[in-house]
Amino acid sequence: MKKEELNHENIKQLLNQSVAQLERPTLTRLHHVREQAMARYTARGAEPVYARAGHAIWHAFGAQHKSRLWATTLLVAIILFSATAYWNQITKSDTTDVDIAILTGDLPIHFYVD
Amino acid sequence: MYLIRHRLLTFSVVMLLFLPVIAGAQTWDNLTPVQKEALAPLSKEWNTLQSQQQQRLINLAKHYPQLDTVQKQRLHNRLEKWSKLTPEQRNRAREKFQAFSKIPLEKREQVKQMVRQQEAQKLSMPASNPVLTNTP
Repeated sequence: MKKEELNHENIKQLLNQSVAQLERPTLTRLHHVREQAMARYTARGAEPVYARAGHAIWHAFGAQHKSRLWATTLLVAIILFSATAYWNQITKSDTTDVDIAILTGDLPIHFYVD
Repeated sequence: MYLIRHRLLTFSVVMLLFLPVIAGAQTWDNLTPVQKEALAPLSKEWNTLQSQQQQRLINLAKHYPQLDTVQKQRLHNRLEKWSKLTPEQRNRAREKFQAFSKIPLEKREQVKQMVRQQEAQKLSMPASNPVLTNTP
């Protein structure tokens, strides 16, 4: 355990020494990259739950372009199918012609009602 | 940019899911003057009707301008009774109407004539009854 702590200390010292030895442009670049990483981390933390869920779903399909394309196609297909089913249902249940004929015809309603 | 794209996608999906609800909601004040005229007998109970029934009645009102005076009168007279029927009763009435439409025209006319006579008898009954009962 003691040995491990010493090792950690050594590593820390080594890194600090290395940083001190780095040239100014390299340090600037590293500083810039760190700021970018921190900004990205903050933005991700502030994302709403549904956006994070979206990322998770997106991630589940894999990071490859082809997988994403498939996922998008699948989503579009589901939306189209749902919309078609919904409009079919509306058309099927459209009884306007019959209703208007009953309501304006020669025979009274009670003729058709039990 | 990535976040905006995600929000747009989510918004589209949510809008699509709620489309039936959004399309179905109709208050009396939102109706056009023609729709209001056609559905006037239902003005009081309109907001209590189910959205599907409202939609059907709105579709019905589209035909109103093409109706003649007699048909408009019949529609107004029957609309309230029609709206008070249960969905099952209305479906049964539609089935009966369709079955009746398949009967040959000659027989249909006979039935219509018979019903007209019955209706006329019903109307004349209250007037004739007091005379009969008052007879010593």
